[in-house]
Amino acid sequence: MTEIHNDAEFRQKLESLDPDRQRILAARFVENVLPFCNDERVSRIVKIAADPHASADELATALRTAKVAIIDSHARCGAEGDWKDQAGYFVARAAAAAVSPAGQSAGGPAWQAAMASRMAATCRSIDSTEDNAGQVKMQQYLVLSEFLTS
Amino acid sequence: MTETEFLLWARGPAFQGATVIFVLGVTFRLLEILMLGRKPNLAEARGSAMLGGLRTIATRSFPDAGTHKRSAFTHYMGYIFHIGFFVTLLLYAPHILVIDKAFGVSWPALPTPVVDATAVITMIALIAVLLHRLKDPVLRFLSNFQDYFAWFLTILPLFTGYLAFHRVGLPPPTLLAIHILSVELLMVVFPFTKLMHAFTLFMARWYNGAIAGYKGVNS
Amino acid sequence: MSGASLARGINALKEQIDAPTATFFSACVHCGMCAEACLFYTETGDPKYTPIYKLEPLRKVWRQEYTFWGKLARTLGLSKPLTDAQLTEWETLVYDSCTLCGRCSMVCPVGNDIAYMIRKMREGMAASGHAPEGMIGATRRAVSIGSPMGVKLPALEAQIKHTEEEVGFSIPVDVVGAEYLCTLSSMEIMNFPEYIGAIARIFHETGVTWTISSEAFEATNSGIQIGVSDIAAELVERIVRAAEKLKVKAVISPECGHAYMAIRWEGPNLIGRPYPFKVFHILEVLDELRKAGRLHTTSKESGRLTYHDPCQISRRGGVFEQPRNLLNMVAENFVEMPENGTMNWCCGAGGGVSANERADELKMKAFMRKKAQLDAVAPTAVVSACANCRIQLEEGLEVNNMDIPVISLTETIAEHLAGETSTEARQS
Repeated sequence: MTEIHNDAEFRQKLESLDPDRQRILAARFVENVLPFCNDERVSRIVKIAADPHASADELATALRTAKVAIIDSHARCGAEGDWKDQAGYFVARAAAAAVSPAGQSAGGPAWQAAMASRMAATCRSIDSTEDNAGQVKMQQYLVLSEFLTS
Repeated sequence: MTETEFLLWARGPAFQGATVIFVLGVTFRLLEILMLGRKPNLAEARGSAMLGGLRTIATRSFPDAGTHKRSAFTHYMGYIFHIGFFVTLLLYAPHILVIDKAFGVSWPALPTPVVDATAVITMIALIAVLLHRLKDPVLRFLSNFQDYFAWFLTILPLFTGYLAFHRVGLPPPTLLAIHILSVELLMVVFPFTKLMHAFTLFMARWYNGAIAGYKGVNS
Repeated sequence: MSGASLARGINALKEQIDAPTATFFSACVHCGMCAEACLFYTETGDPKYTPIYKLEPLRKVWRQEYTFWGKLARTLGLSKPLTDAQLTEWETLVYDSCTLCGRCSMVCPVGNDIAYMIRKMREGMAASGHAPEGMIGATRRAVSIGSPMGVKLPALEAQIKHTEEEVGFSIPVDVVGAEYLCTLSSMEIMNFPEYIGAIARIFHETGVTWTISSEAFEATNSGIQIGVSDIAAELVERIVRAAEKLKVKAVISPECGHAYMAIRWEGPNLIGRPYPFKVFHILEVLDELRKAGRLHTTSKESGRLTYHDPCQISRRGGVFEQPRNLLNMVAENFVEMPENGTMNWCCGAGGGVSANERADELKMKAFMRKKAQLDAVAPTAVVSACANCRIQLEEGLEVNNMDIPVISLTETIAEHLAGETSTEARQS
């Protein structure tokens, strides 16, 4: 099994994958942090992302829904921020990344989804005793290495 | 009082009195404003306040295309009646004579028929402006007694002057006296109305341009 | 904000009136042109949103306190003093339907700086207890916690840690002697923490020394938006103290409009003394790096990009050339909005409007002005440099079913950095 030791490796391997495989991986990254998000729509988006046979139309619709979910969940200017809610916002961003076409953002969909998922975990750990961020990163390395081996 | 006495009174003591009130009134209002002072700006300047102020005094007369489009009527009519008013006031031979007698300066006049036509155009523009003020939702909402009174004070000299020149209705000396009185009314009320903008607009534009220029913005 | 009363409100208004204010009121001829410059009027058609009308209470106080006839009329009982009910009526006009965008000030033919006066009027509104709920909450949090959204240091530290992992090097905090102290807006820390990564990468690449202060990281100033100068001064002092302690040459204001206005232009006047350091908007710093040949970018965005000028940065702040220079570095096809630069239209959400839930509906109506501009340009993306504008644009575009991404200029520059920390270098 290929072991991933650090983020440089992680990112490089992710970026070398074709868009469809990146999407599947991205979906897995987001699945790990889905519990941080209350929005039903986001789970549905992740399912579509995980489907290797998802059509371009389905993905486009999923992306539009993801964008709405992002806007609905962001912290309101001047309002008292809730970091648990922010976790949900970043999960939505991760889901959006997963269904975004490749080439739109630096690092590609899988890297973006991974980063946003980690951010979701970071948000969860603020104001709480749990510290998920490190765990999520390790999980992501594991998911990638298993994926590459299979 | 005979017609002649009336006219002499209007051109003499009444005019002097009105002038005094006008000068004192304007001075007083300007002092009232300036004495409030202004705090110095302690932020580091990016541009020149002075140049900005002078610039805006000039440029504010020429709005950008987008702004002009949205307020075309106000611009055109505003310019027409202002320019018309000043042409009638300053380029009409008998008026220039008055100024010459008072200050010792004079300049060439426009042919009287031209001034006559200008007065008519100005009055038409003023009526258009009044109708606009009555009809436009924003203007109707904003306008108060002072707005309508200032309008009246502005058109009255034009109207009475026109009547005096064309000798309509009353004996010429009386018409002239009424015209002069209408000017004196304008002068006496001027400092206490929005007509002060004739002076304060230079100051306002200066402040505006200075505040913006300090930050490096041409306003 | 404690001890608010009508008397305190009127006193606050009196104190605010200066020569420019008196000049402006004396010069107004009720021409109505300011209405046509105000997006709250143009998109609703409601005359009460006419900018100069929003100032009626202030004008009344001016007349009654500082003019001969006004004082006489008041003494003789011919005019009535300002009432609490009137201030209540004006609350929505001054806070919900004004972002301090200053477009009215650019258009008034007699030269009135109406936004200047609205800022002053808010002092009276706040002192009399007439500021909106949401803004009062934000201000309280800003004072007691250090952030209007309640962002505390551990939260920022978590975001910084995440960023360090993402960029692969450490983010400087509390470094004495760095060239620049970077402040951040809570909006960025919560919604767009990638801004931190962006500036980190750019500064790393260009060799700029910088730092965040653990004692003063908040850039926004709720005191100014609500109109309580004492609080505004206190918030500025925190940054000044940190900057002095860390002995930086300059403080950088992030991608937030009102934060720039607060620290750059109002700050020294609030605290009553000039700064011993300079203040720049991040775009100014980036543009200086570009001019000095230190900022190298690679490849360009091929889409049709347009730029939304945040009002407090462009029109009220004076930073309008720099974003264009920077955008031209990374965009092949940069197209201006029909009215742009210092005459661009407000997004509708600044000046506390977005912190005020009561104003939500009106804010979306106001957005229609920006929508019209975007319809005219038909861009594939909108670039801006203010997190608040960004959210408003995103929300407005979504509500109107327009699929146009909103991107940050600083982040876009970072994405196109050529060099060690660039995408390409990392990929090889």
